[in-house]
Amino acid sequence: MSTTKTKFLCLFRFAAAGWPAKPSSPQEMQAQYAAWQTWMAKFEKELIPGDGLMPAGAVIRGGTVTDGPYIEAKEVVASYSLIETSSLERAIEIIKACPIGMDPNASVEIRRLGGYSA
Amino acid sequence: MPEPESASQLPEHYFRHEFGRLVSVLSRRFGVHRVELCEDAVQTALLRAVQSWPQRGEPNDRSAWLYRVAHNEVLGALRRMKRTDASVDDAEHVADEASAEEAVLLEHEVKDDQLRMLFVCANPEIPRESQIVFALKTLCGFSVEEIALRLFQSREAVYKRLQRARSILRECVVELEPANLGELATRLPAVLEILYLLFTESYSSAQPDQLIRHELCEEAIRLALLLEEHPVGALPETAALLALMYLDAARFDSRVDGTGGLLLLEQQDRSLWDRDLIAIGISCLHRAARGDVFTRYHAEAAIAAEHCLAPTYEQTRWAEIARLYQMLDGVAPSPINTLNRSIAIAEWHGPEAALALLEAINPPAWLLGYYLWDATLGELYRRRGDRDRAVAHLTRALNAAPTHAEKALLRRRLDACSD
Repeated sequence: MSTTKTKFLCLFRFAAAGWPAKPSSPQEMQAQYAAWQTWMAKFEKELIPGDGLMPAGAVIRGGTVTDGPYIEAKEVVASYSLIETSSLERAIEIIKACPIGMDPNASVEIRRLGGYSA
Repeated sequence: MPEPESASQLPEHYFRHEFGRLVSVLSRRFGVHRVELCEDAVQTALLRAVQSWPQRGEPNDRSAWLYRVAHNEVLGALRRMKRTDASVDDAEHVADEASAEEAVLLEHEVKDDQLRMLFVCANPEIPRESQIVFALKTLCGFSVEEIALRLFQSREAVYKRLQRARSILRECVVELEPANLGELATRLPAVLEILYLLFTESYSSAQPDQLIRHELCEEAIRLALLLEEHPVGALPETAALLALMYLDAARFDSRVDGTGGLLLLEQQDRSLWDRDLIAIGISCLHRAARGDVFTRYHAEAAIAAEHCLAPTYEQTRWAEIARLYQMLDGVAPSPINTLNRSIAIAEWHGPEAALALLEAINPPAWLLGYYLWDATLGELYRRRGDRDRAVAHLTRALNAAPTHAEKALLRRRLDACSD
């Protein structure tokens, strides 16, 4: 093991208006599902599964609690996962192969973890 | 290379079929007037599965997982509705009751629910076209776009028909659809007709994509099997319909040549016929012979069986087929039956006898404009050696034929006249 690995947080965002999305048919969803499975299997060694996020939540700002998160947001974080790999370039390469790219309104933000707690 | 095996663990059409199962189950629990709400909830549950299963692995009981998520979605939606509309008070009541039930799906219950949904589709208030579209959406899980593609209708037309069915069912809040399958049994003839139309629509559709047509035929057979498995639907006429479906499906692939051109029965390669499907169809036909009921499905299945069992085109029992068309006309009168009988008679007694039969009927205007009327007359005149009349009829048929494949077939026949 010569290369040091770094962790990256990936935030998957979808257009708030279209999320939870419902235009896909069950047939299409099954195809998407298969695409995700293939992607996960391909980068199994580097992907650390995260989780999906439920639409309901709250936003607390200056002590004020509002229903959240998407009251004023155009995009909403729908899921996250971690990638543990050699470089940002490699993380980008992995995300570029991700089926989320099929949704033109979706985006993924990749951030290197600070590692402060280590 | 990573193993791609994980990408194909789900059965084919799993999501689509699961959609139909869950919409049926939820609509029974929350009422068919809330079918749209149930559809949205199931859609969301499937989407959640897409988002979480690849990462966290599939749950042990996929169906129970989907049911739980969809069920909670419906409850959440009802709660939101209650906040804005006091009249959905009763909804909460139903919901509480339903949530008390365990999230266990018993296979036979799910089947009952799907069957019940099929009978709901056959609600006599809903026009037939809407019933079919609604069944394809709720029971088969096709989207509006997919239905439009399969039925050769515009998306707008499909959407309108769907909305029509939904709005009629929404009225059912006053007078709930009977929960008991027995009470719905009076709708059996309508249910059979929906399945028959679904099948014939796809079997004879102009859709050039064989796979897409196969899929609808499979759906019709799947639903008919569901019907026959249940005491409410286990009647001779259901078996007859199934026989017809299997006996037609057995010959599905032999109807086109390598380039997609249509082949006539006499040109088909009989070795391509699916012997297993024929055997299943014949056993259905035996089941259909119980009792004295004789429906159009019996007659059509028996005709299909004659063709399937004939070793060659020439050895077909044309006399029997002519007789069966006459019986079909007795239960489902239509000049089309006479037209088809004339073809059998032509093979049996020659073109003269067939032409005499057709010349004796007084064809309605719609039949005169129907391309198969001209195609049949043209062919009979050609065989009698009456070239001018043959060319006249075949030309008219060619102009009226609905698909390229059929036009190509007629053009070949027309060319044969001038040889």
